[in-house]
Amino acid sequence: MPGRECEEALDRLFEYIDDELPQDELRRIGDHLKTCPPCEAEHKIKERIKNLTSRTGGETAPEELRERILASIRSAHD
Amino acid sequence: MTDAQLDFETEALSYMDQLFAAALRMTRHRADAEDLVQETYSKAFAAQDKFKPGTNLKAWLYRIQTNAFINTYRKKQRQPKLSDAEQVEDWQIAAAAEHTSSGLASAEQEALETIGDDEVKQALAELPDDFRMAVYLSDVEGFAYKEIAEIMDTPVGTVMSRLHRGRKLLREKLRDYAADRGVYDKRQAATKDSGEVCHARKGV
Repeated sequence: MPGRECEEALDRLFEYIDDELPQDELRRIGDHLKTCPPCEAEHKIKERIKNLTSRTGGETAPEELRERILASIRSAHD
Repeated sequence: MTDAQLDFETEALSYMDQLFAAALRMTRHRADAEDLVQETYSKAFAAQDKFKPGTNLKAWLYRIQTNAFINTYRKKQRQPKLSDAEQVEDWQIAAAAEHTSSGLASAEQEALETIGDDEVKQALAELPDDFRMAVYLSDVEGFAYKEIAEIMDTPVGTVMSRLHRGRKLLREKLRDYAADRGVYDKRQAATKDSGEVCHARKGV
């Protein structure tokens, strides 16, 4: 029944995009998304937001912090 | 110093940028983030013997940093921890309401195209600590649910709940920002959200 397929797909969408599902469920939901535009639209939105947040990291540690940490390791070795 | 110790140090230090970026997300203040990373390394090196070689050093360091954040900085910031009652929510029922018309979905997709990195950072910063951390560890660091559970010292079910709720809040905030800039019509969305049902649910 299609209603139940939508329900399963929507319940599992985060696990689907996070690659946390076993192969058979991954395939089943992937197949459903290909045939159900509303579920696929929701999938695209969730995936897009995950991509947006994935770009927010990437800061580098300040050099003086690196030096402070290295100095404290060296003094621990002495 | 033994080779094993040297390997430990070298590998541990290679995660400094990532730990610092995570610390920035956790504390939201640069000076606090620096102190947190330093505390993480001094705790990690002191507890080096407790690390099992061959297991996930990066996750181990994140766990130390997360604990340090909770014990030191969260107290300092006086941000209340989420109560157990707040964490229990049936997000699976809420998921059913996400099936909207394709027109509405494409309006939201278009709005998302206009979102800049600064807005995403701001939205993340506004999330409660536990939600923000779960989303960050999953989306930015790519940790698996099981690893996030270990890092946050919580069951996998709680990780999933935090991810669901955190991402839902994040999405609402991004919609709000887009609406504030006039690229997303919230009123239209509210009407459609309640009015339209999945075609498949109706059995069409």
